[in-house]
Amino acid sequence: MIVTYLLRRIAYGGLTVLGVLLFLFVLFFLVTAPEDIARKALGEKAPPEAIAQWLANHGYDRPRFWNPEAPTETMLVEHYRRMLTFDFGRSDADDVPIARRLREGVWPSLALTVPLFLFEVPLAVGLALLVAFLRETYVDRLGVILCVLAMSVSLLLYIIGGQYLLGKLLRWFPISGFDPRPSVILRFLALPVAIGVLAGLGEAVRFYRTVFVEETGRDHVRTARAKGASEGRVMLRHVLRNAAIPILTQVVMTIPFLFTGALLLESFFGIPGLGSMTVEAIHGNDFATLRTMVYLGALAFIVGQVLTDLSYVLVDPRVRLE
Amino acid sequence: MWAGGQATRRASGTRAVGLLVMVALPCAVACTNNPYPDEDTGRRIFYAAYAEAPKTLDPAVAYSTVDHMVTGAVYDTLLQYHFLERPYRLVPGLLEEIPEAQTMPGGRVRYRLQLRDGLRFPPDECFQLSEPPGPWREVYAADVAFQLMRLADPAVNSPVASSFARIVDFEDFGRRLDALRESGSAFANERIDRQYAAAGGIAGVRVLGPRELEIELRAPYPQLRYWLAMEFTTPVPWEAIAWWNGRDGRDAFAEHPVGTGPFRLTVYDKRSRIALERNPHWHGALYPERRAPGTIYPAEGEPGDREAGRLDPEYVGRPLPFLERVEYRLDKEDIPAFTKFLQGYYDTAGIVEESFDRIVKEGALSPEMAALGMTLEKTVQPAIYYIGFNMDDALVGAPGGLRAKRLRQAMSLAIDAREFTRIFQNGRGIPAQSPLPPGIVGYDPAYQNPYRQPDLSRAAALLREAGYPEGIDPATGRPLRLTFDTQDTSARGRLRYQFFVDAWRRLGLEVEIAATTYNQFQDKVRRGAYQVFMWGWVADYPDPENFLFLLWSRMARSAGGPNTANFADPHYDALFLRMRDLPDGPERLAAIAAMRAVLEDECPWIPLFHPESFALLHGWVRNAKPLGMSFSTLKYRDIDPAARAARRAAWNRPVVWPAWVVLTIALAVLAPAVVSAARRLR
Repeated sequence: MIVTYLLRRIAYGGLTVLGVLLFLFVLFFLVTAPEDIARKALGEKAPPEAIAQWLANHGYDRPRFWNPEAPTETMLVEHYRRMLTFDFGRSDADDVPIARRLREGVWPSLALTVPLFLFEVPLAVGLALLVAFLRETYVDRLGVILCVLAMSVSLLLYIIGGQYLLGKLLRWFPISGFDPRPSVILRFLALPVAIGVLAGLGEAVRFYRTVFVEETGRDHVRTARAKGASEGRVMLRHVLRNAAIPILTQVVMTIPFLFTGALLLESFFGIPGLGSMTVEAIHGNDFATLRTMVYLGALAFIVGQVLTDLSYVLVDPRVRLE
Repeated sequence: MWAGGQATRRASGTRAVGLLVMVALPCAVACTNNPYPDEDTGRRIFYAAYAEAPKTLDPAVAYSTVDHMVTGAVYDTLLQYHFLERPYRLVPGLLEEIPEAQTMPGGRVRYRLQLRDGLRFPPDECFQLSEPPGPWREVYAADVAFQLMRLADPAVNSPVASSFARIVDFEDFGRRLDALRESGSAFANERIDRQYAAAGGIAGVRVLGPRELEIELRAPYPQLRYWLAMEFTTPVPWEAIAWWNGRDGRDAFAEHPVGTGPFRLTVYDKRSRIALERNPHWHGALYPERRAPGTIYPAEGEPGDREAGRLDPEYVGRPLPFLERVEYRLDKEDIPAFTKFLQGYYDTAGIVEESFDRIVKEGALSPEMAALGMTLEKTVQPAIYYIGFNMDDALVGAPGGLRAKRLRQAMSLAIDAREFTRIFQNGRGIPAQSPLPPGIVGYDPAYQNPYRQPDLSRAAALLREAGYPEGIDPATGRPLRLTFDTQDTSARGRLRYQFFVDAWRRLGLEVEIAATTYNQFQDKVRRGAYQVFMWGWVADYPDPENFLFLLWSRMARSAGGPNTANFADPHYDALFLRMRDLPDGPERLAAIAAMRAVLEDECPWIPLFHPESFALLHGWVRNAKPLGMSFSTLKYRDIDPAARAARRAAWNRPVVWPAWVVLTIALAVLAPAVVSAARRLR
């Protein structure tokens, strides 16, 4: 039962991925010509022969969609072949194997996203429990104001403001940068992690609070209270547990994306992870890297969905995947 | 009940302590803005930022400033430029002396290259392929020949291959190699040195002995010497190409240099950090007693060097290099990089556009910055920006005859390049009078191009002479319409081009900007469908040939060359060919002056300006003199670590009180909440 459900889910996901890959290909080559990529890679002074050679080396000398002589010898077919066989090839910007890039970039990304995740989730759930518990008091109202304020500010402002205030004016942390050596890595991660947690907190607390408040109004919670359970027990056992599904939806969905990194945080803090690699690929017309990242992002999304579905079954015996 | 209360309190106490630890621990270990490990403070390490990662470290391909940042230090060149003297002067590098051209029958020319004794490649895994295998190996003339074959190899795709085409058999070697590779994949997978041997090598490159090499050219090409001063011709061991092939988990050669330079690459994490360390196998380090040029600090320079402290007796005659390590960090954005420079964590920085006026006042360092002990290094780059006319165009070009010439001259007189550099370059640039920038043989500071002194009334008179009185085209009775084809669609780009359009409008001309992308522009150029354009050129080497060839008819854009103006003048061409092959001297200067006169009268270009680069250096940096072109001068540089450590400490004391304020406010807000929550729980 569950197997057929999962297979169907994965099949739909597969179709989505194929669509994403087509969409990316069309969009990218709508605005960029392969010669642009070559010129970006070889520099302004590169003579036409060097450009032609580069295009041939990278397979960009074939027709894009249709080749009457050899229907499989097109850029689109090659695009699908490479992605579906996980043969990512080499970067268009500097010829480094993309698989190696991924191996190197995943660690800095995880160094940022895992602490971010581990700090954010418990902190947001804890604060949300507190404000839900104290709903209708000044704490709750102040919490709402602060959360809405925090949600209204863009991440970019947090980053630049944080770098300016904590890095430049107060000199607590390096403004940006990264060094994986254990003696210094914490210095570089402290500020982006703090900013990431702070920037995400408003929305997360609001969301979890809504979930908790809704749950506290339920019959079983009233019954628990009527049976004389303490408020703490009510919150932790009856509210928190039953709110697990929406929390899980939020949390499990983000886990696969821990690997693909944080676009803005990484690129503004100069963390050489997969997020900043994606941004660089966009700036550098590096199609080979960009499509790999988009492809992996789409796969992460599918994996996230399947994992979420599975986790429902684990936490709630009422849920059946059919 | 009582016991339970105790337990809750203890638990919440533990939680509070836990929370404090969670907040305080990262702060305790992280509360410093020093981006470097503490043990590096006080060491002779030079720190700088780079905005874009190098694309390749293969010396046959590397062609950008950021690539040369590494390759320039890791690969030593056969010849090199004198560190301080200007105009640029070549001195020997890995070669014993500067090779002289020997004329041969049939117009051929021969150069004998003699490598220094005992040069070494540093220890590298790749030398296990050597015969006999070893940790390192000596440098032979064959390694230079090998690199020249790589330049000719189509698979290497060197951007400068065409510059070596005068070497006898150079291009044919590439063709033979290609044919062999196409004949079967077995050949293409052979070891690289065997492939080159099978293709027969380049006939014009002969290894005469372990350290002696002969290069034969089909025709004179004095500029070859400049190419010998670039990393393109550095010796490269074949083992490095065979071993570092990007297969079986090994790096590609483009990521793993094996060179003879004063530094070696120790960290190449190019998306965040690049580190170079002193190379103990460099010939300067192995044989300090030889006192070869470029291995000891020079004793003479140009006027002003002594005053600038670049001929400090403390350094003169001492063996190079002074730095023990060089650390480059990726910093893509200007502003954070500049802030780190102000904090003392980078030793040098460019100037951020946004704070230009804070840093530079009237072309000198502002008092505020000078008080921090900084210095400002200004260098005019060997480069030119110009507006060009398509000389194939019927209206503005050669087919238009005298009318078109007068039109070009009038348009030139309307442009005030000084004003342009003031507005768009923060004054960083000197108005150009001819294609030749300062520092290049043939540049004459006294020369004033009569059509480059802005004068609207003279321009109007010339326009009348051209038959367009007040800019009106008599054929239509309306202002003459021209198109300015640009390759920059940004708002900023548009603003720059508008400056010229406004200047020409004052003459009554109606110039329309046709802004397209680079590719569309290239396409227009290919089709010859353009009239007026703006372009720039940065020299590859400091020879007038490298500028004046931009107007040689053989280089016309319509033939795929960089002469985008399609200028074709038989007199100019004849002068160019003569000038190209002449040694520096009065005869060459006379030829250059004659060429300048042709350009002045014909006006295929409106020379705009030679850009000037401003670099900021902290007071503790010693012996920094920019070379203008991308040649590494790291081996001459030094820093004073004690002075730097003291400044850094003074500039970076953390401000702690706001932490206490925030903590107090948070507690004040949270405490009642926690109390009421606890009450409710009970």
